[in-house]
Amino acid sequence: MPDAQSQTVSAPSRRRFLLRGESAIASAGLTVMALMVCVMIASVWWAQRTQRTAVREARERQVNAAAQLLAQSSELLLAEGELTAVRRMVADAARDNHFEICRIILPDGRILASAQPNESKLRDLPAEWEARVAPQSEGLAAQNQWPLLIPGRGPAVLSISGGDTYVAGPNNLAAGVLAIGSIALFALLFLYRRMRFSMRGLGAVREALSALAGGESQPEALLISADLGPEVQAWNGLIRETERVRRADLAEKAREAVGRRQENKGELEAACDAISQGIILIDDQCRVRYANGAATVFLSSKREALVGGDITKFLQVPDVLADVRAITAGSSRRRSTHDVERREEGSESGPVAGVLRFSVRPVRREDAGSAMITIEDITQQRVAEESRNRFVAQATHELRTPLTNIRLYIETAIDEGEENPATRAKCLNIINGETRRLERIVGEMLSVAEIEAGSFELRYDDVRAESLFEDLKMEFEPQAAEKNIKLTFNLPPKFPTIQGDRDKITLAIHNLIANSLKYTPTGGRIDVSVEFSNQQLTVQVKDSGIGISEEEQDKVFDRFYRAKDTRVSKITGTGLGLTLAREVVRLHGGDIHVDSKLDHGSTFTLTIPTQKKAA
Amino acid sequence: MKISEQQQGAVVVLRPEGPLVEGVIEEFKQRVLKTLAASMGRFVVDMSAVPFVDSLALEGMMDVSDELSKGGQVLRICAANKTVREVLELTDLASHFDHFDDANAAVRSFL
Repeated sequence: MPDAQSQTVSAPSRRRFLLRGESAIASAGLTVMALMVCVMIASVWWAQRTQRTAVREARERQVNAAAQLLAQSSELLLAEGELTAVRRMVADAARDNHFEICRIILPDGRILASAQPNESKLRDLPAEWEARVAPQSEGLAAQNQWPLLIPGRGPAVLSISGGDTYVAGPNNLAAGVLAIGSIALFALLFLYRRMRFSMRGLGAVREALSALAGGESQPEALLISADLGPEVQAWNGLIRETERVRRADLAEKAREAVGRRQENKGELEAACDAISQGIILIDDQCRVRYANGAATVFLSSKREALVGGDITKFLQVPDVLADVRAITAGSSRRRSTHDVERREEGSESGPVAGVLRFSVRPVRREDAGSAMITIEDITQQRVAEESRNRFVAQATHELRTPLTNIRLYIETAIDEGEENPATRAKCLNIINGETRRLERIVGEMLSVAEIEAGSFELRYDDVRAESLFEDLKMEFEPQAAEKNIKLTFNLPPKFPTIQGDRDKITLAIHNLIANSLKYTPTGGRIDVSVEFSNQQLTVQVKDSGIGISEEEQDKVFDRFYRAKDTRVSKITGTGLGLTLAREVVRLHGGDIHVDSKLDHGSTFTLTIPTQKKAA
Repeated sequence: MKISEQQQGAVVVLRPEGPLVEGVIEEFKQRVLKTLAASMGRFVVDMSAVPFVDSLALEGMMDVSDELSKGGQVLRICAANKTVREVLELTDLASHFDHFDDANAAVRSFL
């Protein structure tokens, strides 16, 4: 087993290595070529340098030999007084050896002979001259000068210059090699980039193939950016075509499935079967003449058994059957409607599975009476109606309490206010509080209406969380003190600014604290903890209240829902506070969770992002 | 396949999680048919956690739709993603179902 595992692990690794290898081979090739070009340029430079040294040394030897020969010859000829011959010899030597300057100079600076004919000013060879400065042979040689000693006349100096020869060839060769090398390098770079580009496309296709082999079938996941080359474009085309074929196949299969389901129904029968209300036609013998599809569902029977059968075998609702019998017997033509609660299968007293409305109508016929029963499922309407009724009752109660208080305290203020300013102030204070309570209740009702209509919107602004919690603290501390509940706010030292709807966020947190305050008995405690982390505001409201049973914890956020606990029913409430709180928080991108244990209290945790999420 | 169930009023909201493909479709279908029988058709399939469906899933949904149509009802689905909606459009099956943006809207349609 380990071997098999290692094989499965090593296969993708090998693929990755190969993918990397292509790139490495291309990079190594480019590096080797670049090194070869550099070596070639270095070789040419070295050959040029060696050649120049050899040429310079040969030239030096040539100049030395020519100078020594010229010096010896000049000494002999000048000793003989053959100045003209010496001058010719100097000119010939300069021309033959490419000397720029070649002259014989006397110690006093006069030029005895020169390669330039007009430089020599002496017409004849002086008979004798005085040696002003004794020529040093070593120093003179270094300056391309050779000493002469003319027997019987005096010393002189042979001066030669212009012996360097410019070697042009190697420089041109180096420039040429450099240029060719550079062009080759750029060409290599260009080829390398093209190869890399091509490799990227092929590599991406290979990875997509691996994903395909690994079970990925989503075309979006297999498509590759088209700018990676023609191979990728071809691959994308292949994937799109495959997807098109797959969808066409899917559509064909679906059409076949639909086609198989087409039945040859009459238009009227098909129309009746499309109605969600059940229709049953009954003749004067109480036999079913016709029943549509919905009727068979409501009566939990098959159409073949129902049609032609006795209705009393399928319908066990005495009131409905009595009306049917009366109509078919011709003794009544009264229309009637009956709402019947339907229990769960096989249960006489179990929970209600639904509410069916049976409407019995006479059908006018010449020979005898016949009846029609229509059946309608009104369960959801009944539930909604009950919710509405419950809400209206609770809302009425909620509105009546503050209105009664307001009326009573206005009366007190009118009766006693003029004589007792303290009483008047107290009354006004209570009236003010009750008015705010009324305002909040009406606001909640409006918000619920907006949620129902789908028009509940947030007005985003920068919210200063510090002042928000200060307001809540000021509002709830007196209420907690009045109920002898220890209310603690654990607030952070610094508050960031939140992007959100201040009124709605306040409403959500307000509802959580108010809820805890409402369901925490006297002497209990409530801890409100606020934290900011990871751009998220977390508010935890923990109370020691009556708690919520596990099965009701999900339901407390439902509209108009109030827990079944008898202690809850004694406390006024609309069942909207938590619904609104969660709706508001979810609209801000956050959520509310509850963790509770019956008789041990509840903890509501609200999280909300501090920054508005991009749309 | 995980299929969560939530009661909203008298309506059951079924929420399958994961792709509806061969292997899970039979389980899904049986669960839906069981809910259909228990609720007399008052149910909604919340597709918000279904990334994609295959042809077998479409067959299964059509079976459920057939069963509902016997009672003159239609399969209500909600919150289907773009991929699923496209498949339904391409296969001309969209008209066989009622689609809603979210579960609340689907539940309200029973009123």
